[in-house]
Amino acid sequence: MERLFQASVDEVGKLIGLGKSELSILEDADVAADELLVSEYEKYLERKYNPEVPAVLARHNLMGVPIQERYGGRGARQLVESLFLERLGQTGLGVITFVDVHLCLGSLAVQDWGTQEQKERYLPGAAKGDVVFAYGLTEPEAGSDPASLRTTYVKDGDGYRLSGSKYLISNGSIATNLIAFARPADGKGVTAFVVDTSDKGFSVDMRLEEKIGLFTSDTSLLTLDDVHVDREDLLGEEGKGLSLAYAALLNGRIGIGSGCLGVMEDCLNQVRERTTSRVQHGKEIARHQLIQRHVAFIESNLEACRWLDYRAALKKDEYEKDLRNLALRADADRLSAVAKYMSSRSAFESADRAVQCFGGFGYSIMSPVAKHFLDSRVARIYEGTDEIMELKIASSVLGREFEAYR
Amino acid sequence: MQLHLEGSNAIKASADRVYSMLTDPGFVAKTLPDAEDVRVLDGSSLEAKIKLRIAVVSSTLRMRLTIGKTAPPTKATMTAEGSGSGSAMKITSVFELSGGPSTTMRWSADADITGVMAGIGSTLLKGFATKKVSEIFTSITAAVEAAA
Repeated sequence: MERLFQASVDEVGKLIGLGKSELSILEDADVAADELLVSEYEKYLERKYNPEVPAVLARHNLMGVPIQERYGGRGARQLVESLFLERLGQTGLGVITFVDVHLCLGSLAVQDWGTQEQKERYLPGAAKGDVVFAYGLTEPEAGSDPASLRTTYVKDGDGYRLSGSKYLISNGSIATNLIAFARPADGKGVTAFVVDTSDKGFSVDMRLEEKIGLFTSDTSLLTLDDVHVDREDLLGEEGKGLSLAYAALLNGRIGIGSGCLGVMEDCLNQVRERTTSRVQHGKEIARHQLIQRHVAFIESNLEACRWLDYRAALKKDEYEKDLRNLALRADADRLSAVAKYMSSRSAFESADRAVQCFGGFGYSIMSPVAKHFLDSRVARIYEGTDEIMELKIASSVLGREFEAYR
Repeated sequence: MQLHLEGSNAIKASADRVYSMLTDPGFVAKTLPDAEDVRVLDGSSLEAKIKLRIAVVSSTLRMRLTIGKTAPPTKATMTAEGSGSGSAMKITSVFELSGGPSTTMRWSADADITGVMAGIGSTLLKGFATKKVSEIFTSITAAVEAAA
C-alpha cells in the first residue's frame, strides 16, 4: 500500500478494528488508485473528462463500496468508505468528484430514502457500474439556497412531468440517472425524483469545460423539458425533497473531506521528493528552513484534518445505527461541515504551498502539485461553500434561532 | 530522480534467435517506437531521436544506445543515455532469456532522470515509464516473432 495510506489504515485499524473484507476494499482502492494515475494526469493535461475512472473502479469492484452487500455492494461503513476516498484523493479531486456524486449523493440517497423496489432496481447496477448517478440540485439561480430552485413538476396521469435547468452538474453528461429536485408548479415543497437520462425531454445542453480545474470530472448544464417520470420514480416522500438533499450532502461532505486528505497526502509526498532531490545554493532545498515551514504546514494540517474527517465518519456510523436520534443526526451534520470546511481549505492551501516548494516548475500545469492547486479550489465551493459551512457550524453552536440564512 | 522497473515477456521464438536479434543494433533500430533519425554506429551501438509524449506535451531526447553481450545466449545489457527538451536520462537495463521453444525474457531497468521531466515526480514517471516500456516490448516481441 502507498506509505501514507498504509499509515492511515493502520491507525484506523487500531481505533476501530478492520475486518478482512474491509481491508480487501482498501487494498483494491490502493491498486485502482495506482492504475488511475497516468490516465488522470493525461486527461488533465488534455482538459478532458477521464472515462477510465468508472471503468477502473468497476474492474476492482469499487463502484458500490458503501452499497449494502444484499444489493451487490461491499457494505462499507462510513469510516472505511472515508479511507477508500482518502486513497483515491491522492490521484486528485477529479476522481473524488465522480465517486462522491455517484455514491455519496446518488446511490446512498436511493439506499437511505428509496423504496424496496427502487433499491432493487438501481443499486445492483450502481454497484456494478451499469448505473451512474448525477445529483441535480444546483440551478442557474439556485446555488447556496436550494430552496429557491425553479425546476417544477406537474402531475401527469400516474406520474409527473418535470421542467427546468440543472447547472454545474457533476457526472451530468455521463450519468444514466439523475436525482432531480423540483417543486410543484402550483405549490410549495421540494420533491426528489430519479430521472432516467435516456428519457424524452432530457438533454445535456452544455458540457462545461471552461473550468479553472477539475478537468477530468464531467460537469454539465442539463435541461429537463417536460420529462415524464413514473410515480415509482418519486424518491422519498413528496414535499420532503430538501431533507433528502441535505442528508445526501451530509454523506457528500464527509466524502469531499476524505478526498482532500488524499490531496494533502499527495502534496506531502511530492514536496518531500522534490525538496530532497533539488539542489540550490549547494544543498537540497529541503535543508532551507523556509521550505521546512511549508512541509510542517502540510503535515500538521493533514494530521489535524485526518482526525476531523474520521470523527465525522465515526459519528455518521453511530447515527446509522440509531436513525431516529435527531441529536446524533445534528452532531453528524455539524462534524461533516467542520471536516469539509477544514479539509477543503487545508487541501487548497497545502497545494498552494506545494506549488511554492516546486518553484517555477510548480507553476507549470505539468507539475503534479499544480493539478491539486487547480482542482482543490472547487472543494471550497461545491457541496456547500466555505461561507455556508461557517453558517452551519456557527448555528450548530449558537442554536437554530441564530441560523443566519433563515 | 531514480526509477527501477522490472518485468517479463514471453516471445514465441527460441532463446538463440531472440538473443541474436536483441543484441543486433540494426534490428533494435527498426523496432524502437517513436524514434527518428536512427543511425547504427557500429556492431554494438546506435543513436536516435526518441519522442516521449505525455498527453499533449512531447519532448525529444537524442539518445545513444549501447548493447553489451554479457553472457550469450542468455544475458545482455543495454544502456541508453541522452538528453533534450530540458531533460537528461540514463537507463541501464539487463535482459535474461530462458526456456524454449518459446522464450521468457526477464528484464530490469534502472533509470536516472534529471531536469524538466524529473519534476513530474517518481510516482507519475513510473506510471509513464511502465506504459512506454510495455510499448517497446510489445513492438520488439512482434518484430522478433514476425522475423522468426
